[in-house]
Amino acid sequence: MSAWFRRHKGLVPYLFLLPGGFWLTLFFIIPLLAMASVSLQEGTLGGGFTMTFNLGIFPEAVLRWDDQLVRSLQYGLIVTVLTMLIGYPMAYTIAFRGGRYKTILLLLVIMPFFTSFIIRTISWKFILADQGFVLGTLKDLGLLDQGFRLLATPVAVISGITYNFLPFVVLPLYVALEKIDYRLIEAANDLYASRLHAFLRVTLPLSIPGVFAASLLSFIPAVGDYINADLLGSRNETMIGNVIQRLYLTNNDYPQASALGLILMVGILVSVFLYTRILRGQELTV
Amino acid sequence: MSDDLTERTQIERAIARTFSGRTRMSRRAFFRQAGRGGVYAGAALSLPAILAACGIGSPSPSAAPSRAPVGGGTPTGTLDFANWPLYIDQDDDGNSPTLAQFTEATGIDVTYTENIEDNQSFFGLVQPDLAAGNPTGYDIIVMTDWMIGNMIRLGYLEQIDVARDIPNFVANAADKYKNPSYDPNNLHTVPWQSGLTGIGYNPALVDEEITSFRQLFDPAFISKYTGQIGMFTEMRDSMSMALLYNGVIPKEATSDDVQKAKETLEAQAPHVRGYYGNEYAQGLADGSLAITMAWSGDVFQLQLDDPDLKFVVPEEGAILWVDNMAIPVGALHPDDALAMMNYVYDPEVAAQIAEWVNYIVPVPGAQAIIRQHAAEADNDEDREYLEAVAESPLVFPTDDMLARLHSYKVLDEEEERQWNELFQEVVQG
Repeated sequence: MSAWFRRHKGLVPYLFLLPGGFWLTLFFIIPLLAMASVSLQEGTLGGGFTMTFNLGIFPEAVLRWDDQLVRSLQYGLIVTVLTMLIGYPMAYTIAFRGGRYKTILLLLVIMPFFTSFIIRTISWKFILADQGFVLGTLKDLGLLDQGFRLLATPVAVISGITYNFLPFVVLPLYVALEKIDYRLIEAANDLYASRLHAFLRVTLPLSIPGVFAASLLSFIPAVGDYINADLLGSRNETMIGNVIQRLYLTNNDYPQASALGLILMVGILVSVFLYTRILRGQELTV
Repeated sequence: MSDDLTERTQIERAIARTFSGRTRMSRRAFFRQAGRGGVYAGAALSLPAILAACGIGSPSPSAAPSRAPVGGGTPTGTLDFANWPLYIDQDDDGNSPTLAQFTEATGIDVTYTENIEDNQSFFGLVQPDLAAGNPTGYDIIVMTDWMIGNMIRLGYLEQIDVARDIPNFVANAADKYKNPSYDPNNLHTVPWQSGLTGIGYNPALVDEEITSFRQLFDPAFISKYTGQIGMFTEMRDSMSMALLYNGVIPKEATSDDVQKAKETLEAQAPHVRGYYGNEYAQGLADGSLAITMAWSGDVFQLQLDDPDLKFVVPEEGAILWVDNMAIPVGALHPDDALAMMNYVYDPEVAAQIAEWVNYIVPVPGAQAIIRQHAAEADNDEDREYLEAVAESPLVFPTDDMLARLHSYKVLDEEEERQWNELFQEVVQG
């Protein structure tokens, strides 16, 4: 065996890729192709679907659900900016000022993962309920109007998504910041750069790979999220994920649901492509 | 994945109890409702359903084959029973006394699975097998009346002979459950439990008595309650309510009626807080919702905590839905399935299930037995609870209520598509 490996050294990297490749083929490529095929079929669940190469479904679906598509991209963008504004200072502080509390602080960041995503979002629902202990108390104190509510508003949905994806932003930012050689910043200071200057010219550019990874990790799932809109929103906050969910599971309209899934994927790919163009010239991978 | 959903519902309950600081209801606080309407079916894009969609060749939707009724043989000693979560009695360990007693009485071992979260996604799960003529792995499934209508049309259910194999049904079922329109002469099904879809409201937040759908739909009236009105994400329920408000009997709804119902729902939408699955019950309990569509069994449970909450069968009517036991075609143990169907129509057994589930039990004789259990109860809390079950019109509806109840329309595929599309425009803009 080991002799075989010695003789075929060049094959080893490919062997290492095999399990992952197999996994992705089975659970990503095949379903993706199946979805593409279903999107071009017509029919009903009871009567069966038949392939008609119905390409018209794509423009139809885009026009039908344009509001929800645009809203999802908007929410995704807002969430990405918010998570970055909240997450960057957090990651920065942990990386450079965390000292011996670093591990504990990081643990606190990933702590929410110890409970399920859905349960955390449901807890928001209880906390923010119109007559719940936060709003109810503020209303009784006369600080808020009786009719005030947070649930079923865009604020609740966007805050919910931001909260849920914050750890995904903090961790890559932390990794990127943590590996910056602090002596570079000291050198900048020695050369009379102000602290702001040193940050803008040294720390920030060196952390760009982290910013890139972090923004993708919040933007992509945020655009496709439907749990937050479902639990914290109303019909006016419907995102494209909710539409796809309903088409699949309630209406059994597999073709339109598949088409929308592909459209969403393309939308995200185009957004990410534009984003990499903006960051062109930066080193995006560590 | 559906296990997650059950778990989720139970956890949601647990959180609700924690926040409300109440523990008294213990096991009775588990509402059955996990996912009627399948809001959170959302959390699980069921893989089988999607894979089923991938290999879609062309299942033959043969007209109901005229095969002989199953049964008349000897039970094999095995039964696979698929049901909705929290829909049978449970002891403190989560085991069902009814199932244990059934095994003791008949020698049939039951594998009981609580994996039906909503009609559509369960149908998606078993449809490929049914279309291919393979056994689904279940001998009894529990589906709502309109889905039963679909499955009969597609030839997916075995015929049964109630007179020969389910004598307890013939002797003990209420007349209104015999010969239903979705399954004439009970050729394929007998009911498991049923319930009402009507209006629930919180008198602490509503000045007047609610008696009519006007108070749920008329924008002039509900503008006072903007943001406190709840509707269901379940298309059939919400559409049927709007149809009744417009004076249309749901079963007789035409395409134009449905269009008008959609307009009614759109006019109402600016005042609606949300379109809910089971979470509406939490909203009704915590004061977020003043007036909402509601399922009778939920309101009964909520009333144990807050006796002021009301459930109304409006003057225009309400929906009586019936969940039915059926044997899918190709089931491996039909005789065992029939034995179970017969067993639960024993009034003692029906009472035992009703005491836990709190929906409408199809066996009127259960009422006297629950009263008797109340009289024999060894503590006040149990006695009060059992009396509440026996005397509640939400478990044993009054004749006046029954006179105003309607069924869902059984939709063909084209209608189903039209209704779904119209309703999706309402709930998702």
